[in-house]
Amino acid sequence: MSKLKQDELFRVIEYSSEAAERIGYSNYSYWKSVWHNFLKKKSAVVMAIIFVAVVIFSFVALAIGKYQYSELVSNTKLYFQKPNSEYWFGCDAIGRDYWCQVWYAAQVSIKLALLVAVGEAIVGVVIGCLWGYVRWLDRPLTEIYNIINNVPTIIYMTLVSMIWGPSFSHMAIALIATGWLVMARNVRNIVLMYRDREYNLASRCLGTPVWRVLTKNVFPYLISVVILRLALSIPGTIATETTLSYLGLGLGIDTPSLGLLLRDARLHFLEYSHLLVFPAVIVSTITLTFYLVGNAFSDAADPRNHV
Amino acid sequence: MFKYTVKRLLQSLLTVLIVVTVVFLLMRLLPNDNYFTEDQQMKLNIEERTELLRQAGLLDPIPIQLFRYYGQLLRLDFGTSRRIQTGVAVMKIIESKFTVSMRLGLTSMAISLVIGVLLGVLQARRKDRLPDHIVTAYTIFVNSVPHLVSYSLILVFGARVLQLPSMYSTRNVGKSIILPIACLAMGSIAHYALWTRRYMVDESTKDYIKLARIKGMAQKDIMLKHVLKNAFVPLVQYIPASIIMTVGGSLLVERFFSVPGMGTLMTDAINRYDTEVVQTCVMIYAALGIIGVFLGDIAMMIVDPRIKLAGGGETR
Repeated sequence: MSKLKQDELFRVIEYSSEAAERIGYSNYSYWKSVWHNFLKKKSAVVMAIIFVAVVIFSFVALAIGKYQYSELVSNTKLYFQKPNSEYWFGCDAIGRDYWCQVWYAAQVSIKLALLVAVGEAIVGVVIGCLWGYVRWLDRPLTEIYNIINNVPTIIYMTLVSMIWGPSFSHMAIALIATGWLVMARNVRNIVLMYRDREYNLASRCLGTPVWRVLTKNVFPYLISVVILRLALSIPGTIATETTLSYLGLGLGIDTPSLGLLLRDARLHFLEYSHLLVFPAVIVSTITLTFYLVGNAFSDAADPRNHV
Repeated sequence: MFKYTVKRLLQSLLTVLIVVTVVFLLMRLLPNDNYFTEDQQMKLNIEERTELLRQAGLLDPIPIQLFRYYGQLLRLDFGTSRRIQTGVAVMKIIESKFTVSMRLGLTSMAISLVIGVLLGVLQARRKDRLPDHIVTAYTIFVNSVPHLVSYSLILVFGARVLQLPSMYSTRNVGKSIILPIACLAMGSIAHYALWTRRYMVDESTKDYIKLARIKGMAQKDIMLKHVLKNAFVPLVQYIPASIIMTVGGSLLVERFFSVPGMGTLMTDAINRYDTEVVQTCVMIYAALGIIGVFLGDIAMMIVDPRIKLAGGGETR
């Protein structure tokens, strides 16, 4: 090989900051990929649209309804009125407009579920991160977890409503107080799995602060689990609320909720099916769509599924 | 194994004790008025009431009351009901209700275990085909829609189409118990089917299954002898633990069908502030739950000799 060719092989290229930038920075954006993956699932997108539509409509429905919830009065002539042009969903056992009650109840359920889900997520993620990251906290938190988890949730809920009385805020607090457990355990398991990965060790050795390791390296792995938990907790909260209200332990009597509506309807819906059909269809739509959307979104949010 | 069992047993006892203590303390937050029957509340004046409370020891400092309560528990004395059946021992009230609930719970558990596992096997065998999709749709429906709604649907279907009684009746148990059992089983069937499917699908991608297939074993034998057997191990753990689920569900089911069981008793006791009954009910539920988890771990060790749980205290 001649000397000339050697020189040709190794040519010095002038430094260009623009080119360096292009190589050093990939076009990958976490949220963009999540969004992209989610849109690929057509059925989930349809479900999401239905969910949002129902939620928005629950506000519209109250506005276009002919009766206000606070102005409902019992009317002997309208006992078990079948749906007609005046009473779109008919009337209940004591002749009150059902349309307005059902939508109001749906709204209360959605509000409660969202509040509880967010509360659960915040408490669960914070405690879960500590549980997974701080070694000496592992044992005590595990014990607390076992103690709370070994007793059916419904028992705590009944005790809370027995002692402090049924109300919206008590119920939200009690649901958060028991709901964070599952979230915290899931988060803890993941934090534990990733905290000592080589790249995290390297980061720490290079002097990256703990919070940055947690938010940049560990958090993306958490998102899919957190979202899945949120997706499961919203139908779960609605279900618990209906159960407790049905047992007379949930929301107060003056707050309409799906549980209370179904409790009042229990003795009558075999003859008057509209008392069951409307609340059942609406609550099922809300929970079912959210469950499916959540599942799809959590798949999309898993960085292992990203290209 | 023995050492582990003893350790776990002691731990479980401690947990029950903590739960009992918490419940006891919460109960002390309630006003004292509930000590008296409605009749007494009207007749007695404040001095007489205070006197009665003092005699019953309810005005002593809380720690003393707590230790007295522990003493009672050690002597297996659970107190007497004040509101529901005034003066009757709590245990006596619970006894009859307990059998009703247990019959309901155990029957539905047995049914759901058989059907659930069978459905799961079916799904795993016909993965990504029609049967799989149908059962998956069923599990999604059960898991996402509030149980109250699905119970109502079962009730409407059972009462309208099958002409079954819509309420439980103590005189004619036979037919009227069908719908409550169906409701209780519905949830657990979905649960078992879901997990059986998941574990079987996980298992069937493993190398030794490929080997079994290569050596020409029949698909049916592979599924039953290898896959199901191994998939059953993690599942066994949930069987006793699903008592907890049955307990939680039974509160609603019993109310829904007016079954005179533990669930109805407890909600009644709560609505009428019968503290002694509530305390005992909660204790029984907590004990059942803890025994369930404990038995689950033991059962898993028996089914799979490779599993050794030595550490204890780990989260599952």
